[in-house]
Amino acid sequence: MASERAITATVETAGGRGRYRALVWRRQLILAGLGAALLFSLCVDLALGPARYGLGEVVRALLTPDAVPQQVRVVLWEIRMPVALMAVVVGAALSVAGAQMQTILNNPLASPFTLGISAAASFGAALALAFGVALIPAAIAYVVPVNAFVMAMLAALLIHLLSVKRGVTVETIVLLGIALVFTFNALLALVQFFASAEALAAVVFWTMGSLTKATWPKLAVTTFVLAAVLPVFARRAWALTALRLGEDKAASFGIKVARLRMETLMLVSLLAAIPVAFVGTIGFIGLVGPHIARMIIGEDQRFFLPASALSGALILSASSVASKSLVPGTVFPIGIVTSLIGIPFFISLILSGTRRSW
Amino acid sequence: MNFHKLAAGAAAIVAVLSTTLVAGAETVTVTDVAGREVEVDVPVDRVILGEGRQVYLVAALDPDDPFKRVVGWRDDFKSADPDNYAFYLEKFPQMEELPTFGGFKDGTFDVEQAVSLEPDVVIMNIESRQATEDARYIEKLAAAGVPLVYVDFREHPFTNTEPSMRLFGKLFGEEERAEEFIAWRAAEIRRVTDVIEKANPQRPAVFVERAGGYSDDCCMSFGDDNFGKFVEMAGGTNIAKDIIPGTFGTVNPEQIIASDPDQIIVTGGWWEAYVPGGAWVGVGPGRDQAEALRKLEELTERPAFTGVTAVENGQVHAIWHQFYNSPYQFVAIQQMAKWLHPELFADLDPEATFEELHERFLPVAYKPGHWVSLSDGE
Repeated sequence: MASERAITATVETAGGRGRYRALVWRRQLILAGLGAALLFSLCVDLALGPARYGLGEVVRALLTPDAVPQQVRVVLWEIRMPVALMAVVVGAALSVAGAQMQTILNNPLASPFTLGISAAASFGAALALAFGVALIPAAIAYVVPVNAFVMAMLAALLIHLLSVKRGVTVETIVLLGIALVFTFNALLALVQFFASAEALAAVVFWTMGSLTKATWPKLAVTTFVLAAVLPVFARRAWALTALRLGEDKAASFGIKVARLRMETLMLVSLLAAIPVAFVGTIGFIGLVGPHIARMIIGEDQRFFLPASALSGALILSASSVASKSLVPGTVFPIGIVTSLIGIPFFISLILSGTRRSW
Repeated sequence: MNFHKLAAGAAAIVAVLSTTLVAGAETVTVTDVAGREVEVDVPVDRVILGEGRQVYLVAALDPDDPFKRVVGWRDDFKSADPDNYAFYLEKFPQMEELPTFGGFKDGTFDVEQAVSLEPDVVIMNIESRQATEDARYIEKLAAAGVPLVYVDFREHPFTNTEPSMRLFGKLFGEEERAEEFIAWRAAEIRRVTDVIEKANPQRPAVFVERAGGYSDDCCMSFGDDNFGKFVEMAGGTNIAKDIIPGTFGTVNPEQIIASDPDQIIVTGGWWEAYVPGGAWVGVGPGRDQAEALRKLEELTERPAFTGVTAVENGQVHAIWHQFYNSPYQFVAIQQMAKWLHPELFADLDPEATFEELHERFLPVAYKPGHWVSLSDGE
């Protein structure tokens, strides 16, 4: 009897382990698939443009930039490449920022937008665009992004200061965030009201988001921030996963919940503020990216984190392709495309979902 | 509803009474650029300008004192065109005292403030039509007996400039002077278009960069109106004509390399108030040409202009941005024609045209500096 039970238990454990391995294998496959799709989208983004170069010419320009005419080289390396790569990096950063906000606030509606960080950044940028106001002294070329960044960090700091007060719950933080959204939107409207026609056009275009502002230095900064923040989150994958089980459970595992939440919020603000500062507000990635990742791969942070990054990058990269192709020759604000492409896909995922993803 | 009718009726009676009381006034029906028929007592003595830069025309109609009829205006003149603002302020210091309206392109304003200034007419830019109608300003002003008309020097200047000038002339009782300006302006435009029509030269591809360097976004431009149309009149082909659907828009930087324009024309102005130390080209009346040339040269180093024919051949020019929003744009057409077809327009002197405009019609003196070209150095 006793040995029989032991045998059954061993078999079950082995079966469980097998199932777990299969699950991990399947999730790794999904990640690989997302990565492949992203790579494909990046290639298409590099290959398309108003200057209709052949595929051979594009590949030559990429592999041996010195062997092609200067114009082809400039188009590929100075115009298309920063934009294409910026789409990938910004998409990943915004999506990861949204994913971790949803995790620490335990709220499916949390994103850099819903907490007012993007709205704050827009307001900072508008101050510079409309009146030339610099919040802290900076080189002329960087007044707009620096302003956006300063305001975004101020908003994050405000949320943090209020959230460490006694008796403040995650729900309160979300409500505070919504209050900030409305405050900064009102301030933005105020700036627009007093702006000249030329400045207004610049502000409106900026708030719609545009990847054409991408340059190599901006790309480098954004990439650096993403590369610095991602490993920190990866190291805390288990703690963050546990947080999704509930604050009390996480605390009972020995996790310092308040500290984890505060540190994550700061990192997320950085991750959200930098892209917004450089390319303007690009909507919905921070909300939709993590949800798509969660629906196809689940809550386990070891997979959820890279999946969020990949899905965000993929949406924005695909949007970049679409924004070039919709009205050839013009620059269609990518924020609009992102919403128009991301939302139907998102809705179809929600409606076809067989299991609860939140 | 009944109350509104009653109020409107009462207002109408008051309006009729006041009309009969004011000697010499005559009620006429004018058609504005939106096609609306509006009854106005002319000549008007008290006017609200929905955009400060309407003064470009008002000054031509009332050169003795352009502000004698103006009781309020939008505050854009000072920041958008600080050069001319300073010239006018020197001669007419009272303009600083005029009540101003804030408000952006939509031209929203406070009806109560407007009514309290007791204007005979409110002159709005056509862009503000949507906002004006949404807020039901026309009805509210009408209830106070104030008519509102739309003019346009910016959205569709090709078709709307002359009707707008004529409308101003009618309202101000300066029809003769307005017609004189219109006729002379049309003749000056024909000095370009007639030659182009007759010679039918090969049309160079032209890229007009709107407010180049104003922000790091390249490249704002014009569709088939405003500067986009002026370029066509001057004998060029606007490369953004079929790309930008409306009058204003932005083209993909790569498109400029793809279209490879023969000529590039950048609009500029002294925008220190908006973008301090920005990359914009500060052309304008009395501005330093060498400095403007240096900034224009810098703009050609952006990736979007790499290896473009216009840059290779030094055919890159900068022109005063405010030509896009004033009845003076025919001067820009002349200068652009000279750039695009130097051999056809060797005798044309846009500088002299602009000087004549100031001497014949405007209260301020002409100062050069409205354009520079990289080809000047050759």
